[in-house]
Amino acid sequence: MIKTEKTLHLRRFRGRKVRVVREHYLREQVPCFSSLCQADCANGIKVLPGDLTHYVVPDADVVVNYLEILELRELQGIIFTQTACQALHSKGRRYYNRLRNLVKDPRYHCVQFANEFQQYSYCPREKGESQEKWQTRCVYSAAVWYYNHLAGMMNVVMITEDEEAVAQYSSLHSGVYVISVQDYLQNFWPDLQAAQELYTSISQALEEKEAEDSQREFPEHLPAEVMEAGIKSGRYIQGTLSVNKHRALNEALVLTEGSCSQSMDLSSGVLVHGGKNRNRAVHGDVVVVELLPKSEWKGRVTALTEGQGDDRSADDGQENPMPTGRVVGVLQRNWRDYVVTFPSRDATQSQSRNCQRVLTIPWDRRIPKIRISTQQADTLQDHRVVVRLDSWESTSLYPNGHSVKVLGRAGELETEVQTILVENCIHVPAFSEAQMKEMPLSSPERPWRVDPAEAAKRRDLRDSHLVFSIDPVGCEDVDDTLSVRSLADGTLLELGVHIADVTHFVAEGSLTDLEARTRATTYYLADRRYDMLPAVLSADLCSLLGGVDRYAMSVLWELDAESLAVRRVWYGRTVIRSSYQLHYELAQALLNGEEVRVPELEQFCPEEKDLKLAQLIQALEMLTRVARHLRLQRDRGGALELEGVEVRAQLDKDKNITALVPRQPLEVHETVAECMIYANHWVARKIQESFPNRALLRRHPPPRQELFNQLVDTAKVMGFSIDTRTNKALADSLDRAADPQDPMVNRLLRMMATRAMSQALYFSTGSQPQDQFYHYGLALDRYTHFTSPIRRYADIVVHRLLTAALELEQGAEPAGILATNRELEELAQHINNKNWTAQRAQSASTGLFQCLFFRDRDPQTDLRCLADAIVYSIRDNGVLVFVSEYGIKGPVYLKNKEGQVVSAEPDGSCKWQSGKVRRYPSYITTTSGGCTSTFRLMSHITVRISVHSSNCHSDALVLEVVSNQPHRGSEPQRPASQGHRQLVQEVVRLAESAQQQAAHAPKLSREERDFLQSKTPNLYSILEEIRELALMDPEAVPRLTDPVKTGQ
Amino acid sequence: MAGLELLSDQGYRLDGRKATELRKVQARMGVFAQADGSAYLEQGNTKALAVVYGPHEIRGSRSRALHDRAVINCQYSMATFSTAERKRRPHGDRKSTEMSLHLKQTFEAAVLTELYPRSQIDIYVKILQSDGGNYSVCVNAATLAVIDAGIPMRDYVCACTVGFVDETSLADLCYAEESGGVSSLALALLPRGGQIALVQMDARLHQDHLDTLIEAAMTACKGVSKVLDQVVRQHLQEASTLQE
Repeated sequence: MIKTEKTLHLRRFRGRKVRVVREHYLREQVPCFSSLCQADCANGIKVLPGDLTHYVVPDADVVVNYLEILELRELQGIIFTQTACQALHSKGRRYYNRLRNLVKDPRYHCVQFANEFQQYSYCPREKGESQEKWQTRCVYSAAVWYYNHLAGMMNVVMITEDEEAVAQYSSLHSGVYVISVQDYLQNFWPDLQAAQELYTSISQALEEKEAEDSQREFPEHLPAEVMEAGIKSGRYIQGTLSVNKHRALNEALVLTEGSCSQSMDLSSGVLVHGGKNRNRAVHGDVVVVELLPKSEWKGRVTALTEGQGDDRSADDGQENPMPTGRVVGVLQRNWRDYVVTFPSRDATQSQSRNCQRVLTIPWDRRIPKIRISTQQADTLQDHRVVVRLDSWESTSLYPNGHSVKVLGRAGELETEVQTILVENCIHVPAFSEAQMKEMPLSSPERPWRVDPAEAAKRRDLRDSHLVFSIDPVGCEDVDDTLSVRSLADGTLLELGVHIADVTHFVAEGSLTDLEARTRATTYYLADRRYDMLPAVLSADLCSLLGGVDRYAMSVLWELDAESLAVRRVWYGRTVIRSSYQLHYELAQALLNGEEVRVPELEQFCPEEKDLKLAQLIQALEMLTRVARHLRLQRDRGGALELEGVEVRAQLDKDKNITALVPRQPLEVHETVAECMIYANHWVARKIQESFPNRALLRRHPPPRQELFNQLVDTAKVMGFSIDTRTNKALADSLDRAADPQDPMVNRLLRMMATRAMSQALYFSTGSQPQDQFYHYGLALDRYTHFTSPIRRYADIVVHRLLTAALELEQGAEPAGILATNRELEELAQHINNKNWTAQRAQSASTGLFQCLFFRDRDPQTDLRCLADAIVYSIRDNGVLVFVSEYGIKGPVYLKNKEGQVVSAEPDGSCKWQSGKVRRYPSYITTTSGGCTSTFRLMSHITVRISVHSSNCHSDALVLEVVSNQPHRGSEPQRPASQGHRQLVQEVVRLAESAQQQAAHAPKLSREERDFLQSKTPNLYSILEEIRELALMDPEAVPRLTDPVKTGQ
Repeated sequence: MAGLELLSDQGYRLDGRKATELRKVQARMGVFAQADGSAYLEQGNTKALAVVYGPHEIRGSRSRALHDRAVINCQYSMATFSTAERKRRPHGDRKSTEMSLHLKQTFEAAVLTELYPRSQIDIYVKILQSDGGNYSVCVNAATLAVIDAGIPMRDYVCACTVGFVDETSLADLCYAEESGGVSSLALALLPRGGQIALVQMDARLHQDHLDTLIEAAMTACKGVSKVLDQVVRQHLQEASTLQE
């Protein structure tokens, strides 16, 4: 028991000044985390390397203000002192957490040193000494301690912004240098341009902040204690600010968390109207609002609006007021990196008086303009730049920020794709050398082989089981295979699912693992893919290719041959060799008894071939039978048929997938999917039973009934009734609601049903009561993701859990330390967020490509700009339509700003004329000059698609009604898949040729633009993905209350 | 003070201790000559004075006397200057009454009361400075005072508070930790036999963690008992040299 000296520590609390005496224990042994340590410090795994030229100790205010520079991976050997960390902690929890993650991450060479608990480096604060001076002194004494502790073997550089400190300390101790940040960067890292630019941009922003004029534009925020007290007493309401995309200037909602104890119903949020009331809060911030008196309450605007910023106070819908409030304080800023566009010259001239400050326009409409101090305003015209917000003082109309990185000129394909990535917080650098070093070697000359020692530990299924995979044509990364055979004279069936054993290659805590954890999923954009794991794993070692030995994680069920009841389940690691790499069409053809060629059997003589073929077909038939049975079981439980028609609707939005999936789903798709769902379900059961409160599962909460209103109303108009009480009732009633004349009706209804669904999400079992584990869509009591470890991190976690569960069963202590419930819950949150951003990025990139496709076409002449659309919702001044050919959803205005309305001629063609619009539940009419035209729900119209281009934001598609008749010119049912594939190809080709024409254009690497490289692993994963896309329409949530689709 | 980091990633607590380390304990026995037994104990910044009278005849109403054992009477109070803000009511409030009751229960379990039928033992404890773990400090101080009074006990009673943060248990909480949202548990132990005299906990804690927490508390109590043992031995040595 170590008892150490005790010193007293005086502190003053905020608010009421109270003198508090705290103990402070010092000790001699505080780990230094350096590999040069001579004193046997208890250093952990992560140590600073000894081969650096120096260690750098940043002063407290350097850490507080310039953390971003220290975050650069190039800077090595950073020692964060505890003093500096505490200074950062007082600035905000978020910054502190950033630092904590930095220190934890082995990819960064930095450590944290508890200098205040070290006997010799601690210096008590002297009387009358200012906090900053004391902190500097502490940091300096820590730097000196390091120098002495490492016996002078390493020079220590302390960087500070305090010039007095530089003068005072620099000559005090040889080997410990005290210099300013600027000098440090110039002398030690002259090549690191990025750091210096960042430094100038941050220091300018800091200067600006000091030189702010004092005219007040906003009321001050309340102090934290007052807000907290107010929230507790119910006077204020806490929530997340969400700005309306279409009326970003005026409308914002504060979504409250949990239920409010008050009598008022605030479940739909509190409206914050106008910039003054929003009081400097930015989209995403956690804010505190105060309700305004009822007389000042306002309603939301339900009409479609074109563009933003046209402040039409006239339709400040007074008829339907909702709780309205004003922001009194911000609890937590959730600022991220924003992409902004610098205005072009003529726009800057207006501010020429002070050309250093530029107002830039964020790409995201919900973010206010950002003021940036820069000297590069001229060179950056029309460029997209990544910026970070620094502050928003009450004296300023706009927030201050500083630039971080230049992305490129607006409008170029590469810039736009990068913009999408940054806006969705996706950071995917190339895999580093250190990460690649962890990978086993495999080359065509010397292919990787199974290690006999490892194979001996695993169950060998290479000879005993007929293993095969069924995937789309040309698939390279096969992560699941199947097997089925009969046992014990045909009384038992053995069904097996074998999944690539990724965790064998990716050790927990390795650099690859960390990178995969950060990415959490493979990102599929319209024209490219960012893998979660390096290609050597995803396409080779972990891919269960035909004819080669591979490691696998297997689940084997013994089923009763008659009743198909489960007798026994076996989980474990195996070695397999896939005999057949089939594709869906081939498998279906085999099942149908057609004569087809199986490539693997070509080499055999005819008799043997027939025998093998018969075996394979028998296996496929058995599989199909089992899958049918499983499906039936789930259907009885009420599984929702959200794929089927619905899938295709969503498919159209994603070209990669569309290009692969045939229009008619084959039964074999469902067979494979069913087996995977079954495997996921059983693994979920296993890990949940082994680790009742620390297993990673996936749940799909039942939807909120009120969200079905739109669906029910629409269906009622069409003469169908939809029962939404349970998932089974919903599935049945959706099946009934089909119009034999128009298959689109059912499709749209299913789309609406999907939008009402909540999002499926990962969670840790310890954080939810067991009755919440239910998966609504699949009708399973427990579900997880196990079958695609190559492209989802959740599956890797589940694999590790399953391994641990098996070890536990054998009585052995699990090798690695398992994540605790809290860590797992954090991880689950992280994966959920990453999945959502991946989906958002995916749909944004799809939108981008749609726009690029239509941008170069003349909407007046090009026939491809005319398309058939179906009306699926009615609004005050227009309708919302769905264009199935291109998968576009959007508004069509029937009344423009001049008050003209669309009127249809007898032949159906439409013209703008002055008139009136009237809205009814199931149709909308326009009256002009005595002639009335009607647009009904679910009727087909013809629209013209054009692009509304915008310099600062993403381009948007504009739909215009051409005729209220169905589009006739369209060639009958051109396969949508091809259309989309062509679309992507064409856009990429155009972009490339433009690149070549511009001689100075940088050469883009071929691989990056290799647009068709995205080979989705297999159809099951596609279906899964679709299901998720379907369950998580990114616009679904705001849509509940937000009637307007796009109006950009 | 929302958001204090109670346990840093490197395993340090607010005051520089590791999770299992106790605060510095210092104690003296026999501080007052008039009382039968007395002791002064500091545990970190929490300081307590304990005084024992008895065993003596029952004072007040005779009806309280028990025919087979002694009555233990405890009173807990806090000095007005013991907290950062002056306390208005040094004793007799709800908290003090509860604390007195807990002390009484603890010592009824430890003192061999059956040796003194129809008599009474008074234990008065006063907190001079409060910095977390008031109950355990009182128990520890009172143990020394009872020993000083020469009243036979089954064993030392040692008490310690433990808290649970980030899946780790922290021994001997200070005030900042107690008020920082830790679910804390106070435990009084007879260390030699490992019997628990009292457990008190009024926070939420998952059932699975209770065992580890109690385990940690018992280890901490044993640590305290070592220190108390040292104090008693030293006191005895001093006392015997004086008599010679």
